[in-house]
Amino acid sequence: MMQFTEAPPQPFHQMTSFSNPTMNKNHIHRTRPWPGFPTSKSLASFGDANCMEQLLVHCANAIESNDATLAQQILWVLNNIAPPDGDSNQRLTCGFLRALIARAANSGSCKMLAAMANAHSNLAMDVYKFSIIELASFVDLTPWHRFGFTAANAAILDAVEGYTAIHIVDLSMTHCMQIPTLVDAIANRHEVPPLLKLTVVTSLEDVPPILDLSYDELGSKLVNFARSKNVMMEFRVIPSSYKDGFANLIEQLRVQNYVYAESNEALVINCHMMLHYIPEETLVAIPTSNSSLYAFEFSPSSSLRTMFLKALRSLDPTIVVVVDEDADFTSNNLVCRLRSAFNYLWIPYDTMDSFLPRGSMQRQWYEADICWKIENVIAHEGLQRVERLEPKSRWVQRMRNANFRGIAFGEDAVSEVKTMLDEHAAGWGLKKEEEDLVLTWKGHNVLFATAWVPA
Amino acid sequence: MPVDLDNSSTASGEASVSSSGNQSQPPKPTAKKKRSLPGMPDPDAEVIALSPKTLMATNRFVCEICNKGFQRDQNLQLHRRGHNLPWKLRQRSSKEVKKRVYVCPEQSCVHHDPTRALGDLTGIKKHFCRKHGEKKWKCEKCSKKYAVQSDWKAHSKICGTREYKCDCGTLFSRRDSFITHRAFCDALAEESARAQTQPVANPNSESDTKIQAVDSSPPTPVPVPAPAPAPAPAPAPAPAPAQAQAQAQAQAQAQAQAQAPPAPPQPQSSGVISSVLPIKSPELPENQTQIVEETPVTTGLNGSCSSTTSSSSNGSTSCSVFANLFASSTASASLQTPQTHGFSDLIRAMAARPDPPTDLARPPSTEPISLCLSTNHGSSIFGTAGQERRQYAPPPQPAMSATALLQKAAQMGAAATNASLLRGFGIVSSSSSSGQQDGLHWSQRQVEPDNASVPPGLGLGLHCDGGSGLKELMMGTPSVFGPKQTTLDFLGLGMAAGGSTNSGLSALITSIGGGLDVAAAAAASFGGGEFTGKDIGRSS
Repeated sequence: MMQFTEAPPQPFHQMTSFSNPTMNKNHIHRTRPWPGFPTSKSLASFGDANCMEQLLVHCANAIESNDATLAQQILWVLNNIAPPDGDSNQRLTCGFLRALIARAANSGSCKMLAAMANAHSNLAMDVYKFSIIELASFVDLTPWHRFGFTAANAAILDAVEGYTAIHIVDLSMTHCMQIPTLVDAIANRHEVPPLLKLTVVTSLEDVPPILDLSYDELGSKLVNFARSKNVMMEFRVIPSSYKDGFANLIEQLRVQNYVYAESNEALVINCHMMLHYIPEETLVAIPTSNSSLYAFEFSPSSSLRTMFLKALRSLDPTIVVVVDEDADFTSNNLVCRLRSAFNYLWIPYDTMDSFLPRGSMQRQWYEADICWKIENVIAHEGLQRVERLEPKSRWVQRMRNANFRGIAFGEDAVSEVKTMLDEHAAGWGLKKEEEDLVLTWKGHNVLFATAWVPA
Repeated sequence: MPVDLDNSSTASGEASVSSSGNQSQPPKPTAKKKRSLPGMPDPDAEVIALSPKTLMATNRFVCEICNKGFQRDQNLQLHRRGHNLPWKLRQRSSKEVKKRVYVCPEQSCVHHDPTRALGDLTGIKKHFCRKHGEKKWKCEKCSKKYAVQSDWKAHSKICGTREYKCDCGTLFSRRDSFITHRAFCDALAEESARAQTQPVANPNSESDTKIQAVDSSPPTPVPVPAPAPAPAPAPAPAPAPAQAQAQAQAQAQAQAQAQAPPAPPQPQSSGVISSVLPIKSPELPENQTQIVEETPVTTGLNGSCSSTTSSSSNGSTSCSVFANLFASSTASASLQTPQTHGFSDLIRAMAARPDPPTDLARPPSTEPISLCLSTNHGSSIFGTAGQERRQYAPPPQPAMSATALLQKAAQMGAAATNASLLRGFGIVSSSSSSGQQDGLHWSQRQVEPDNASVPPGLGLGLHCDGGSGLKELMMGTPSVFGPKQTTLDFLGLGMAAGGSTNSGLSALITSIGGGLDVAAAAAASFGGGEFTGKDIGRSS
């Protein structure tokens, strides 16, 4: 009768041997119990993050194998153990649950379901449109963005010392939210501030956070602000998309580079959680239609991501700062991605309780933002799946392959990041790994910031 | 007004020696009261080295009036005078007390050296807290943290006087936040617009100072406290499954039963059970009440199952199954019957768009989270607009908590002969033989032990054995099961290392477990060690 309980436990690695080795690092040192739950072990395991992850994995498998019955049954269980207003684990699971449902509806294997999904508009969530002020307070909530801002600004300030003009290419998801503090720092540092040229790209209408303001208006606000700080600023918008590796941006920069190469102008490339949208090697179909720039450079072993970095290098920038989320969402295996995402995205949920009251508007924005990511990673494939995070180690390798050399963040950068983190919850931490800075939450890597110069 | 005798200056612990240590001593007649300098003790003084524990020991002598604690009784006695309580000071011994100095227990600290010892106990205590201790006092306004409570109190008094205020009225405690806001705030644009009415000849030149003056002035101190965020409505707590613990044994039993090898197909028995139970729950030997309560879910599932069945017997494609399961609430009339609402609601929900974020603005679930997906709006993640919903959903069913379901699942499992909730519901066609025209149970997945494949027309076009093979591979649940067993480890949870610890889960999983005949196999697969491994791996 009880023999099954005595069955020899299978080694853990058997389970994960299938998955990407890099994604397992977050499995370790992690306990996320169900708070407030009685000590009944049998039940605690039910609400446990491990259990939820297992259920999600099995649900994903059922959906992938087209087993609607089983999928539905697991969805049913998940729905009951993971209310959208539960604890952070439950809400995390709920986000994945939604994504799996969306995937089930999206999968072409079932036309009826897809039809139903279409009939009910779609499963995609309505994405909130931020006013610029709301967005400013939104990114200010957590070190998630401020970490990169602070570290990058400090590194940029050091790098542009002595230039009379600074050309900043801001490749950021946050609609120039980093720029005011950078302008302020530049204004404070120089008696006669250098000329500031700011170049941004428009392409991210589809990736949150969505801004309810045109880039023209945004630009005029920034120019106005810079003027108030006695900094002259030019603002330029280049239509260019990550989908083709920012081909248009690169082209424009090349032209500009040609013009300004002789002048005393620094070229700063600030990549803030943007590069992971560029298709990498796991995306087989590369759209060649509009990527005229890369068309002739393309080889099967290469990817747009690689080519973009090489193109950047050819511009001979003064400094390139790469800040991104330290996780691996690139696997073509859904289960691998699900595990990887589940073991990374618990962090924003876990941090939330420390700074956002339940039911607050900002919390909804924040969660919707994460849910969008989850859905993108889980429910979409091919070009639609844009959240293609890579871990820091791989980015470092990419940058080195593109002939960049990493430079260390200065003492100022470290102390400013530390000061910034002091303003937030105690769980945040800063780690120095070789030259790079790593933001941690309860010891888990969250983001990395790296600075590069041409080798 | 009682004098706080134990209160030393909060400005700097090392510098202030005016604390209890000195005050406890009777004032010396020689008015030559000299402040001892930090780290420059009297060479004659006795050097005291306390362990961190002793140093941080909570004050043992507590005033019964104000609960203030003191490390020494002498200090408490002095304090009691302030309350007009009887007090008693020990008589000083005849000899003059030797002056004491204290070193920091932290080895790396400069004050660890006796020549840099601090002159009083409170001073060293605060020093140790500040420099080597945890900062557990956090300012609510600016998040700045302090190790010493009195430091935190002092800060709290002045915090907010250095806030940044935008002309739009918004307050900021951090400069960065203020700068970012300021850049985008309309207030700046308006000011600039006013300023710009004056012609600016050359923006680069110094003549631009006027514009600069508009905003580069230092931020105004504002004494207004930051507005507190509105308290959020308390969401429904997670169901407290206290009593479910009592069910652990029953669940374990169910598990064990479910684990009993089902290998030889028993068409008759399973046929009977699956066909009878959905219709008449009283057939079950025990626990009738629970079963009766369970009926809505049962029938709900069955409703969908029957359509599955029909599709399988008709050899129709998987689409219809999917549609039935996920999408179509209008698929069959039988689904509209009140009993099926739990299920049809799920179906409905699958097709429905999840709540847009704004819907979340509703007070989060004043209703309990329901198990049968059939409750009202917000509590279900699939919640739909109420209007649409009415069309599908019958009046709300009493919500069932997860606890309740677990409990029932366990009871059902224990009671049902096949030890499977699903079988009890008749939705697991436990290995009915192929060719049986049993319209009532799920026969789309007849799994025969030696049969390598399943006719593609059946069910979802899932090739069971192929699937199982793949799954075994993927989930790494190898030969736990006998070779002859059809082991579709669909849940493959591999979860319960020990039966009792995870019985709740596995029992439920079992109950919802594969639509295959492998309730047992699914349960058995929980025995895998993967959960354990993960669990251990993660708990640190």
